[in-house]
Amino acid sequence: MNSSLELERPQAATKNGLWQTLVRALGRVGITPLGLGLLVIIAILPNVPPFNQEHILRWLIAGAFLGAQAVAFDFTSGFINVVNFGFAAMVGLGAYTSALLANTAPYLVLRLGLSPWIGIWVGALVAGVVGLLLGMLTLRLRGIYAAVMAWFVGIALMGLANNLTQLTRGSMGLHPRTLLATSDNRPYFYIIFGMLLLIYVTLNLVTKSSIGLAFKAIGQNIDAARASGINPIKYRVFNFALSCAFAGLLGGFYAHYYGSLTPQTIMHTSKTVEVLAVAYIGGRGTLWGGVAFAFPFIFFIEYLRSSLANLPGLQLVIYGILMILVMIYYPAGLSGLYYWAQAKVRSWLYRRRARPS
Amino acid sequence: MSSSTIQLPRVRQLIKPSSHKNTPAWVVGLLSLAVAVLIGVKGGPAQLVTTLVTGGMWALMSVGLALIFGVMNIPHFAHGESFMVGAFVAWAVFTPLNGYLQQHPSRFLSTVAPFAGIIVAAIVGAAMGVVIERVIFATLRHRTKEGWVMNAFLLTVGISYVLTNGATLTLGPDYRGVPQYWDVPPLQFLGIRLTVDRLAAFIIALVVIVTLWLFLQRTSTGRAIRAVSQDETGAQMVGINLDGIQTLTFALATATAALAGASLLFMFPAYPLVGLNPLYYSWYVVMLVGLGNVPGAILGGFIVALFQTATQQFFGISWINVVPTAIMVIVLLVAPSGIFGSEVKGIQEQ
Repeated sequence: MNSSLELERPQAATKNGLWQTLVRALGRVGITPLGLGLLVIIAILPNVPPFNQEHILRWLIAGAFLGAQAVAFDFTSGFINVVNFGFAAMVGLGAYTSALLANTAPYLVLRLGLSPWIGIWVGALVAGVVGLLLGMLTLRLRGIYAAVMAWFVGIALMGLANNLTQLTRGSMGLHPRTLLATSDNRPYFYIIFGMLLLIYVTLNLVTKSSIGLAFKAIGQNIDAARASGINPIKYRVFNFALSCAFAGLLGGFYAHYYGSLTPQTIMHTSKTVEVLAVAYIGGRGTLWGGVAFAFPFIFFIEYLRSSLANLPGLQLVIYGILMILVMIYYPAGLSGLYYWAQAKVRSWLYRRRARPS
Repeated sequence: MSSSTIQLPRVRQLIKPSSHKNTPAWVVGLLSLAVAVLIGVKGGPAQLVTTLVTGGMWALMSVGLALIFGVMNIPHFAHGESFMVGAFVAWAVFTPLNGYLQQHPSRFLSTVAPFAGIIVAAIVGAAMGVVIERVIFATLRHRTKEGWVMNAFLLTVGISYVLTNGATLTLGPDYRGVPQYWDVPPLQFLGIRLTVDRLAAFIIALVVIVTLWLFLQRTSTGRAIRAVSQDETGAQMVGINLDGIQTLTFALATATAALAGASLLFMFPAYPLVGLNPLYYSWYVVMLVGLGNVPGAILGGFIVALFQTATQQFFGISWINVVPTAIMVIVLLVAPSGIFGSEVKGIQEQ
């Protein structure tokens, strides 16, 4: 590990300006200068005229929410090659935990009235623990079994949320307290943007460490990984639980931002499919691909929805076809396109520099 | 290798899993028997008849799913959409026919009309299967080197997404059903009221399953299908057209699912998401018995239907997804490759 780092360093160490130090520091958490630029642009968008309207702010929030989910999802599917088909149920579990802990309404059994600021972390913890247990039980199975088991557990969780009407009001839904007293969307945007950064940076640090190396080994060939002394189950369970915990955290945000929660709108399999598609079109195994795709995707979908009001669902069909096309013809996704373009530009620059002047 | 004669494995042993020393199978079997007795005592024989009818249909759906997984190694997530298409086609064919029959009553025609809808649904289902296989899976097969099972699975997720949303887009979210196919009074025997529709659905399921079984066992094409499911390379070596077999299998499976959707139109009115529950149930079945295990899937259909009837009887209808799922999860933890086991190579892929 160390030796490879040392090998890379000398080239960078020759230039020691402030900019280089910054780039290196950001590179360690997985943010390139271009990525930083885009993040800064997204961060100031809510204050720039065409984007500071409330409905566009809601799109930005939805984009960040979807992107953050895609990061947590890709951490599992892109690295250890396990598709967590119960992902939406984990989001829902976090959302319901937090919403129930924060509940003060008299018509429900549980009335703790815990602050949502604490509740969302408890929700993350609960989802993480459930993910840990589920992972311990299912991740010794082969990929497709693990995926389908997670799916079944997700269906069961959704059924529970639907049926425990004393606790959750079932399909009538909950109306959790919002995080802030204000109805302004801008603070919420910065909260979810912060969560997105937190999740991305944390997961990136994990994947850049030796643990991430083990993940990649497991994802590529589990038997070879086992032969070289990695305990695949341990790493897979850790990965799965971490991803579920972040899913739960995002669920908590969802509950306390939208202020309404039904099993159908958050725990349904189609929600998992949405996250899956964004993560895959964005590019597997990169973490950032999903984020890069989520924002334009939400804008595209919402724009189509508003302009094609007479054709409900056309945007979803287009989206599904795009997903199929990407999966068949360009499995590398958006991030693959980026890396290809980057390589092209680099080789062009190199050739220009090599040419005698 | 001292023996000079080569022991040929008996075909029967290859298809039929050995039932002796198979504890999970015995436990599930005895449990199902106990549940059946309980249902019979509490709900009366009528509940058992319901179980048989729905069980036949889940068996039909699951056989298709098991075939697709066994032969093509595709964990088919869009199987419910074939059910949905079948239901819509049957509705589109039967409703105008029924309207015509209201004007011009004819005993013979009103007996035959529902079959017209069901058969057209099966044909459309088969055609859809051919198109999907040729356009999507054949392309993917020629482009994928590794990770086929997972890629195919995600692709079927995409297909399901497109088909359900496409149906919503073109047909709207409305329910389109028929109150009953055959407008005749229900049969009465042993104190059971059994509508002709249910009886017909059960008979259709049985006939199709038996036909399919005979086709797989007795015809050369059926043998080729089984050969591909056992060993693709070996099948190619003896001159089996792999592409043709895979397209045929996929078309057969979608046709049976469409047939199920059409036959159950009186129970499940057609709407874009109608396939979701049948999809869950057929997945329960194939996971319970072992992925790709075709004979197991037939039995499993009835076991799952039994669990569902019991859940409905003892817990209420809203728990119908929860309790069977919980049972399934427990069974799979004990017997990860299903109670009858699975011999499909695709599950070895991580």
